[in-house]
Amino acid sequence: MTDVMTPKAPQWWKKPDVKKTAILWVVCTAVIGYVGAEFHVRNMVSPASETMSGVISLMRVFTWAAAPVAGLVAAMCLTVLTSKRHYGDNPPAEADHQVSNSPRATALWIVVSALLCLFALVGGFIVIQKDSSSLFDKSALQVNVTGQQWLWNFDYENGARSEDLYLPVNKPVVFHITSVDVKHSFWVVQMGIKMDANPGYTTEAAVTPNKIGVFDVRCTELCGLLHAYMQTKVHVVSQADYDAWLSIHVQIEKGA
Amino acid sequence: MDTPQGVLPHATLAISVYPDSMAGSHGKDGGAHPGYVTYGPITNFEVPAHSVITMTVTNYDGGESLNNDFFARVRGTIDGSAQLNGERMTSISPDAVGHTFTIHGIAVGRDEFFLSVPMKAVAEEDMPEEGFTTKPNVTTFTFITGGPGEYVWNCEYPCGDGTIAKFGAAMSTMGYMSGHFTVKG
Amino acid sequence: MTTVMSKPVSAPGKSIIEKLNFFTALALGAISAIVVWRLALQFLPEDTEVRLFTREDKITLLSMTAWLVGFMTGIGALVGPFRWLMGKDLSHEENMFLAGKDMGIKRYFRYTTDHKVIGIQYLVIIMVIFGIGGILAMLIRTNLGSSEGGWIHPQAYNSIVGTHGIIMIVGTIIMVTGPFGNFIMPIMIGARDMAFPRLNALSFWLIVAAAVPLLWGQFLGGISTGWTAYNPLASQAPLGMDGYIMFICIFAISTMVAGANITTTVVRMRAKGMTWNRTPIFVYGVVASVALGLPAFPVFFLSQIMSAMDRALDTSFYNTAGGGSGWLYENLFWIMGHPEVYVILIPAIAALMEMAPVFTRRPLFSFNVAVMGIAGISGLSVLVWAHHMYLSGWAPLLNTPFMLTTELISIPTGMLFLVLVGTLWRGRLWMTMPTMSIFALLWNFMIGGITGIYLSDVPADAFLHGSMYVTAHFHYTLIGAGLTGALAALVYWFPAMTGRMFDKKLSWVAFWIVQIGFNIAFIGMFTVGLAGQPRRVEAYASTFNTGNMITTGGAYLIMSGMLVLLYGVISSWKSGVKAPKNPWQAKTLEWTVGYPVPLENFEVLPTVTSDPYGYGKAQS
Repeated sequence: MTDVMTPKAPQWWKKPDVKKTAILWVVCTAVIGYVGAEFHVRNMVSPASETMSGVISLMRVFTWAAAPVAGLVAAMCLTVLTSKRHYGDNPPAEADHQVSNSPRATALWIVVSALLCLFALVGGFIVIQKDSSSLFDKSALQVNVTGQQWLWNFDYENGARSEDLYLPVNKPVVFHITSVDVKHSFWVVQMGIKMDANPGYTTEAAVTPNKIGVFDVRCTELCGLLHAYMQTKVHVVSQADYDAWLSIHVQIEKGA
Repeated sequence: MDTPQGVLPHATLAISVYPDSMAGSHGKDGGAHPGYVTYGPITNFEVPAHSVITMTVTNYDGGESLNNDFFARVRGTIDGSAQLNGERMTSISPDAVGHTFTIHGIAVGRDEFFLSVPMKAVAEEDMPEEGFTTKPNVTTFTFITGGPGEYVWNCEYPCGDGTIAKFGAAMSTMGYMSGHFTVKG
Repeated sequence: MTTVMSKPVSAPGKSIIEKLNFFTALALGAISAIVVWRLALQFLPEDTEVRLFTREDKITLLSMTAWLVGFMTGIGALVGPFRWLMGKDLSHEENMFLAGKDMGIKRYFRYTTDHKVIGIQYLVIIMVIFGIGGILAMLIRTNLGSSEGGWIHPQAYNSIVGTHGIIMIVGTIIMVTGPFGNFIMPIMIGARDMAFPRLNALSFWLIVAAAVPLLWGQFLGGISTGWTAYNPLASQAPLGMDGYIMFICIFAISTMVAGANITTTVVRMRAKGMTWNRTPIFVYGVVASVALGLPAFPVFFLSQIMSAMDRALDTSFYNTAGGGSGWLYENLFWIMGHPEVYVILIPAIAALMEMAPVFTRRPLFSFNVAVMGIAGISGLSVLVWAHHMYLSGWAPLLNTPFMLTTELISIPTGMLFLVLVGTLWRGRLWMTMPTMSIFALLWNFMIGGITGIYLSDVPADAFLHGSMYVTAHFHYTLIGAGLTGALAALVYWFPAMTGRMFDKKLSWVAFWIVQIGFNIAFIGMFTVGLAGQPRRVEAYASTFNTGNMITTGGAYLIMSGMLVLLYGVISSWKSGVKAPKNPWQAKTLEWTVGYPVPLENFEVLPTVTSDPYGYGKAQS
């Protein structure tokens, strides 16, 4: 087996194609990292919770972490594509080497990809830890979410009920999600949380909305005929507005 | 018509719910699914935008318990009430619901629109072996439409017998217990 | 193969084997189905309670089973086993007839056991599958061209989405291992046929038999559940669901049979001297693919049997009210579902790795790493299924370990990238459509792979799961990587299979239109996914208009590219340039037999003395 580094050849980093690739690598990494990160961040909805901001920055970080690898592949491809190409019905002359292995390159590649993988894992684990601890926040508002073909409805602690969700701003909330028929998935889009609604089971998800406004709830598990229409609104309002809304809706449930 | 939102044009709709599709819009043989419970004579509605709509639903069908009490209450009509056989009501017992008429849609880029009205079931002793009951329950309700948009409506009382959660069959087939509700500009 | 023995006196007239063909199979299948349907209608007891579907489900499933038995009998699949049962196996004459000794066109419509015939049969049926799946895809995209519900009824839309999904999954599973695994692979390893030629015919004809219940289901309310057919929604769905169940059960048998057959063939029948180090990488890809099917598809089969029992016999495997759980179905489904994506991907990438040395005229870079990568992906892929269930609520504590296994897959996947890029590096680039496909695969699979890393991360998945982003991601891997590899394989092995060159110009035109259209379509789909559009919706908010228009436009480009390709296949097959014996001057065995390939490939079985990638000039 021949290594890339044969003793008589010029030092490998001085070869023109290596230099070209190195420059292209830097350029490609920058372009891929920037375009990739901006593509994701700009297309994503603007966040209405810390969780969602976390998702957005996580994707930015992951994109930049992946960019050097993608950049290297792109740079090597570009170098190859811009070198001498052969068209025609007969094969070109044989390549002037028989390199079928390079333990160094292989080892480096595997180590780097393992490190990147580790980085992604650690990043993810930290966020999971944070997200799951918020489920046990005792001071949080508790809201029961019921999915039904093809509507959502929400029950609040004091007995009020609604078909669109009302939440006070900056207060942690824990959703207890279930379904009365088939499987649905409760997605509060701008808050970056999602949890399936399973018939017969209750699942939990937690979030703290941090922006006043109207946001979307959509079902993301195909649930039959009118699945596409299984959407509603989240109104995030000030605590005072929330209390007022709640007292009116309790009245309604008690029978006006 | 006078409303809290000012004077608005007014339109009316009258439909019925039949325990089997022999009497609906599905032809004299009941169409593809003669056993299905159905709304009728039509299930796709077109109503004017920014108008007052009065709907009358005559329910010839029996019923049982809802799987979600949420839908036992009238929601989304003017002052949250409806007329059941001429009397004002805001909810009916969740154990005596025949069907519901529930409108909803994709609430982005157009006016939110949600409406749900329960139809009282015909009592068991009034349900004849043959033909239709002579004592249907008539529910009338009035609501205001927003801007134009495509919405859907369906029944939230589980009446697709023989399927899981009773939401298959008639409940999962357009033109029986569900349909389109178009608000025209 | 010469046997020195006196010919048995064959009975006068045609033997039963010679009479059976595709048309007798169709007839017998249809008759059996109708007879059983009438009988079931007559004799099955009425349900005691009001159970809308249970009795109809029994009738439907029974008639579909009758169709299967009738069809397989009619094609002649049972002649062999029956004879064996009677204690007399098929005669040599009959075996030769089954192998397609006459070399005529008719053998393509029979239970022919020649692997080359089966390869061509697969190629044709895959084109049909992609044709149907493609039309369904265009219906979906056309419907999504406008927001707020298109012109397709929601019921029909859901059914189209489900049918498109399952038919394309099946099409892509067999797109490489079917035609090329059958036609090319045995010659590549220097074998005369598969280890079990009759089982090989069985797996092909089972796929044909499976198609009918799927079509039948379209007339019974369709597959309104998406291709995943999650329960309890599937229990609630109309009778069309039984078509899906039957389709999957038959297809799973076909895959299991093919998996056992191909694995045995490669392990036992490689030519003398073809050590594992000299076995072409494509063979590894095919074996890894079908071997992965061996643990995956029995589980799929079982999950559908249980689904059928829930529907027809009122059991409650998946019904919470009866003590079952929808999570059980999800687990069974994805234990099949995740290995299955690698069943699709690995052979396609392996095919490109096979071509890379040929078109760069240098050895494959790091053969061992390629094998390790394939093995690593295969091994890990059976341990990652629950990443489809991060947000199902089933076992939140398992999210962390499943995230670990999922992200570990990026390491062996990276190895495949290394092998491809390493092989391109300092090669002599011979510009052909397959060569360019390697670059296209690297581009598409890079996007598919990196978006896969976001999806494997639980917090990011909490936003992305179930959105159009996921749809775009797996189309990037299955079409962008998988189909690109399969189309390259088609152009590369076209001369070996048809004796003619694939029209060069058409292959380039199709390549560019498909690749450009593909990237437009699915980058557009990424944007709407990020903006919050759920999957499988028939109507969407007007905010997603632009992205969907872009995707629909791209989809039309893909369609036109595929039509060019189809034209290329037909015209090149009919009247293309006659191919020389080894047009790419490759060093693997399939190029040594010429065209038409003789009935049993090799007069004298070859002996392999060198590795298949000995290209390049030795450095002095």
